[in-house]
Amino acid sequence: MTDPHHPEPDPLAHAEVRQAGWIGYVSGYILTVGLLGVALLLTETKGLDAQALLITLSGLSIFLLIAQSMLFFGLDVTRYNIWKSVSLVLTVPLFILSIGLTVWMFHSLNGLMMMPEMPGMPMQPTLLQ
Amino acid sequence: MLVQLQGPWSWIFGRLTLDSIPYNNPIIIFAFAFSVIAGLAAVAPVIYYRKIGYIFREWICSVDHKKIGVMYIILGLVMMFRGFVDGMMIRTQQVTADGPNSPGFLEAQHGYLPPSHFDQIYSSHGTLMILFAVTPILTGLGNIVVPLQIGARDMAFPRMNAISLWLTVMGAMLVMASLFIGDFSAAGWVGLTPLTELPYSPSVGVDYWMWAIQISSVGTTLNAINIITTIIGMRAPGMRWDRLPIFTWTTLSTSIIGLTAFPILGVALALLGADRYLGTHFYTAGLGGNLMLYTDLFWIWGHPEVYFLVLPAFGVLSEVIPTFSEKPLFGYITMVAATFAIAGISWTVWLHHFFTMGAGPMVNTFFSVATMLVGIPTGVKVFNWMLTMYRGRITYTTPMLWSVGALFLLLVGGLTGVMLANPAINYTVHNSVFVIAHFHCMVLLIAYTIFAAIIYWFPKVFGFKLDEYNGKGFFWTFSLGTMTVFTAMFALGFEGETRRLDYLYDPQWLPMLIIEELGIGLYCLSVYYFFRMLYVSIRDRAKNACGPDPWGTARTLEWLTHSPVPFYNFAVTPEVHELDELAWRRERHCEAVRPERFDPIHMPRNTMIPIIIGIFAFGFGFGMVWRIWWMAGGSLFLIIAAVIISSFTPDPGYTITAAEMAELEKQHAQHGIVAESGSPLPMAEERLV
Amino acid sequence: MDASRGSDGPLPPLWHYGETEHDPISTKTLGFWLYMLSDALIFAGLFAAYGVLDQTMNAAGGPTAAQIMHPVAAFWQTIAVLSSVLSYSLATVALKTGNRNGVLLGIVVAILFGGIFIALEFTDFASLFAIGATPDRSGFLSAFFILVATHGLHMMFGILWMLVLILQILRSGFNTAVVTRLLNLRLFWQFQASVWVCVYVFVYLRGTFQ
Repeated sequence: MTDPHHPEPDPLAHAEVRQAGWIGYVSGYILTVGLLGVALLLTETKGLDAQALLITLSGLSIFLLIAQSMLFFGLDVTRYNIWKSVSLVLTVPLFILSIGLTVWMFHSLNGLMMMPEMPGMPMQPTLLQ
Repeated sequence: MLVQLQGPWSWIFGRLTLDSIPYNNPIIIFAFAFSVIAGLAAVAPVIYYRKIGYIFREWICSVDHKKIGVMYIILGLVMMFRGFVDGMMIRTQQVTADGPNSPGFLEAQHGYLPPSHFDQIYSSHGTLMILFAVTPILTGLGNIVVPLQIGARDMAFPRMNAISLWLTVMGAMLVMASLFIGDFSAAGWVGLTPLTELPYSPSVGVDYWMWAIQISSVGTTLNAINIITTIIGMRAPGMRWDRLPIFTWTTLSTSIIGLTAFPILGVALALLGADRYLGTHFYTAGLGGNLMLYTDLFWIWGHPEVYFLVLPAFGVLSEVIPTFSEKPLFGYITMVAATFAIAGISWTVWLHHFFTMGAGPMVNTFFSVATMLVGIPTGVKVFNWMLTMYRGRITYTTPMLWSVGALFLLLVGGLTGVMLANPAINYTVHNSVFVIAHFHCMVLLIAYTIFAAIIYWFPKVFGFKLDEYNGKGFFWTFSLGTMTVFTAMFALGFEGETRRLDYLYDPQWLPMLIIEELGIGLYCLSVYYFFRMLYVSIRDRAKNACGPDPWGTARTLEWLTHSPVPFYNFAVTPEVHELDELAWRRERHCEAVRPERFDPIHMPRNTMIPIIIGIFAFGFGFGMVWRIWWMAGGSLFLIIAAVIISSFTPDPGYTITAAEMAELEKQHAQHGIVAESGSPLPMAEERLV
Repeated sequence: MDASRGSDGPLPPLWHYGETEHDPISTKTLGFWLYMLSDALIFAGLFAAYGVLDQTMNAAGGPTAAQIMHPVAAFWQTIAVLSSVLSYSLATVALKTGNRNGVLLGIVVAILFGGIFIALEFTDFASLFAIGATPDRSGFLSAFFILVATHGLHMMFGILWMLVLILQILRSGFNTAVVTRLLNLRLFWQFQASVWVCVYVFVYLRGTFQ
C-alpha cells in the first residue's frame, strides 16, 4: 500500500533482495546436479545392495535439502530469515512423522493382513462391477 | 468422463436433471419452506430499511477483521442450528425405530426416515457441526480478538482474510445446496472408503461433501497463514513474546495446526476425487487400491483437527476464568508450554481412531502411549484453571458459568478419552455410541467455550451487553440437555449399541433413547432461551450500553479500545509494558488515559474481489459436483484471472488525517460497528474492481 | 518492533506516537513461506500415499516401478529444472542493481528451461500411456502419476506467474509490489527444485532398484 505522506523505502535495498548471491546459487546448482548424478550412477551400476543404496540415497537427499535451504533459500537466524528457519525446523518433524509412521504402520499391517503370494496363486487384478 | 457414471449426463447440465430436485420428499419440502421463510425473515428488514447498499459496501466487501469475524460467527451459528436440527432428527428416528418390528411412517420401514436419508442426516450433522459451525465460529473469534489483543490495526493480509471467509461460506452453501438439489453424502462425515468410491456412492452426495470441505479448507489454510504472520509481525511495541495474551498463544498454536494438517486432508480428498473423477485406484477395492490408505491420511489430518478445535476453546477458558476470578492466570509459562505440547503430540496419535484396523500390537502400543501422553499437558491446563479460581473472587456471570461447565465436560470427555486410548478397551467399544458420547463431551465443551466467548466479547464488538437472565436460562437448559442425552448415551455404549443405526435392533434400549429424546427437548428449550436472549438484549441495547471495560475485571489489551471497537481499532498504537496490560494500567490508575494527539493512519480499502472469488469458487464446486465441465473449468479460470488482474491494480488504501481521527475519537460513543463508514468502495469511475 | 522502553519517570509512555515501523515486504514473504510449508505438506501426503501404494500387490499385475521408471531420462529433467531455478535465481541477483534487462533475461531463460522440463515430462507420460501404463491401470500407477503430475502442475503455475511478472516489470518497473512478487516467486521456484530432489531420488531412483 502506498501512502502519500510517507514515501516507501527503496524495495531494492531490502535485505531479502540483497541476500541474493550468484556464488550460493551456482554452488547449489553444481551440488544438486552433481550429487544427483552420483546417485544415478550408484543406482545404474548396482554397486550397492538395495538396503545400503536406500540409506545412501536418503542421506544424500537429506544433505542436498539442507544445502539447498542454505544456498538457495538463504535460511539463517538473522532478523529477516529467522522465522522462516524456525517454521521450517518445526515442520520437518511433521514430514518425518506423517510419512514415517504411515510407512511403519502399513508395513506392520501388510504383514498381518495381506495374504503372501503363493507359487500357484499369482496376484491377479480384480475388477469391481 | 473416464469413469462410468450412473445416470444421464449432458454437456450443458452435466448430471443435473429435474429429477435431482427431491420434490416428492415431504421432509425436504418442509426444510426448504423453512429455509426460505428464515432467509426472507433475515433479508426483509434489510430491504425494508433500505440497507442493501450498506450491507454490500460495508459488510460483504469488508476487509475489516472484526466484521469478517462477525460474519464467520453468524455463519457458524446458522450452520450450528441446522446441525442441531439434524441431531434432533437422528434422535427422533432412533427413538421411533426401536426394534426390528417397529412401525414405519412416510416412506420408511422403521421410524420416519429411510436408511439412505438417515445416513445423509448423520453425515451432514457431523460435517456441518465440525467444519461449518465450530470451525468458523472459532476462526471468527480469533479474527476479532487476536489483532486487538496484540495491539494491531488489522490482520497482516486483510484482503486474504475476506477471501478465507467467503471460501468458507461457499463451502457451507454447497452443503446447503445439497439439501435441495441432489443429495448429500451417506457415508458419514469421515467418508471412509470404499463406500465413498463411485460404484458404492454413485450419486453426487459424496461429491458435494468432498468439494464443500476442499473449498473451505483452502479458506482455513489461508486464515492460518494470516494469523501466524499477524502474530509474528504486527504486535504493538512492547508486546514481547512473554507478554502475549494466552488466547493469542493458543490461536498461534491452532493456526500452526491449521497450516500443517489441512493440506493432508486436501490430499486425502483429492485422491478420492481422482478415484471418482479420473478412475484412478488409490482407494478402490481392487486393481491395487488400498482402502486403508484413506483412513490413514484422513486421520493424519483428523486428529490434529480436533486439537485445532479445542485449543482456541482452551484459550477462551484462559481468558474468561481469570477475568471472573479477579486473579491473573495461574502458570502462564506452563500454560503456553502445555499448549504447544498438545499441538506437537497431536501429530503422533492419529492411529487411535483405527486401532481395530489391524496394524498390530507394536504399532497400537506406540499410538496408545502417545495418546495418553496428551493427557498430561491437558491436565496441567485443568489444574492451572482450578488454581486460578482458587482464592479468587469469583462472579458467576454467564460466561463464567459456561466456562465452569466446560471444565466438567473436559473432565468427563478427557477421562473417557484416556479409556479409549487403551487398545484393549477400544476393541470392545470401537464403533459404539460410547465413542460418540466421548467426543460429544469434547465438542460440547468447545461449544460451551464458544458461548462463553460470544457473551464475553459481544459487548466489546457491539457496545452493549447480552441479557444475563436469559443467558443463564440458555446455559441451564443447554446443560441439562447435555447431561440427559449423554449420560444415557454412555450407558447405551456400555450396553453395546453401535453407531449410525437407522433402527435399533434391541428394543430394550428404548428407555434410554426416550431419556435422550427428553434431552433433545431440553436443547430445544435452550434454543428458545438463546433467541430470547438475543431479542431482549437488542431491544434493551441502549440500557445495556457499556464502555471499554464492561466486565470491570478484564485484564488484556483489547479491553482498552472503545466499545464497540472503531474500524481502526486503536487511535494510537499502545505501548505494552506488562503481561495483562490492562490490569497493569488499572493498578496505576491510567486505564482511562487517552492519547494526547493523533497521527494520520493508513487503512486498507474495502473491495469486491473476495466475494467475487467466493462466487466463482461456488461455481467451481457446483460445476465439479454435477460434472458440468464448462462451469467448473470456467469458474477456475475466472478465479485465476481475478487474482492475476487484481494484482495489476494494487490497492493504495486510504489515509485518515490527524484531524479526522480526532473527530472520530470524539464521536466514538454514538457510532457503532454497524454505523461507521470508513472506506467507501471505489466505484466504477475509479477502478474496475 | 521496538523494544519496550524503560523509564524512570512516574509512568512510562502509554502510547506509541509516530509511524510504526512497517516492512510490507518481509510480512508478505513470511506469509508466502508459510504457504510453501503447507504446500510441502501436500507433497508429504502424496509421498506417504506413494509409499503405501508402492508394493507389488498395488501394481495389480500391471507395469511395475522398474518397468516405468527411466532415471537416465529423468536426469535430463533434473538438469532442466535446476537450470531453470538457477537462471531465475541469477535474475534476482541482477535485481540487486536494478538491472531490468538482466532480470528479464533470467526470467525468460527460466521459462525456457521450465518449458523443457514440462515437455520432457509430457513425452515421458505419453510413452507410458502408449504401453498401457495409465493412472487408472493400478493403484501404484495412480500414485506415481499423481505425485509427479502435482509437481509438474506446480511448475506450470510457476511459469504462468513468471509470464505475468514479465508484464508487470515492463509496466511498473521495480516497485515494492513487483519486488515482493519476485522474492515470493524465488521461494516458490527454489522449492520446486527441492521437491524434485525428493521425487527423483525416492520415485525414479528407488523405483529402479526396489
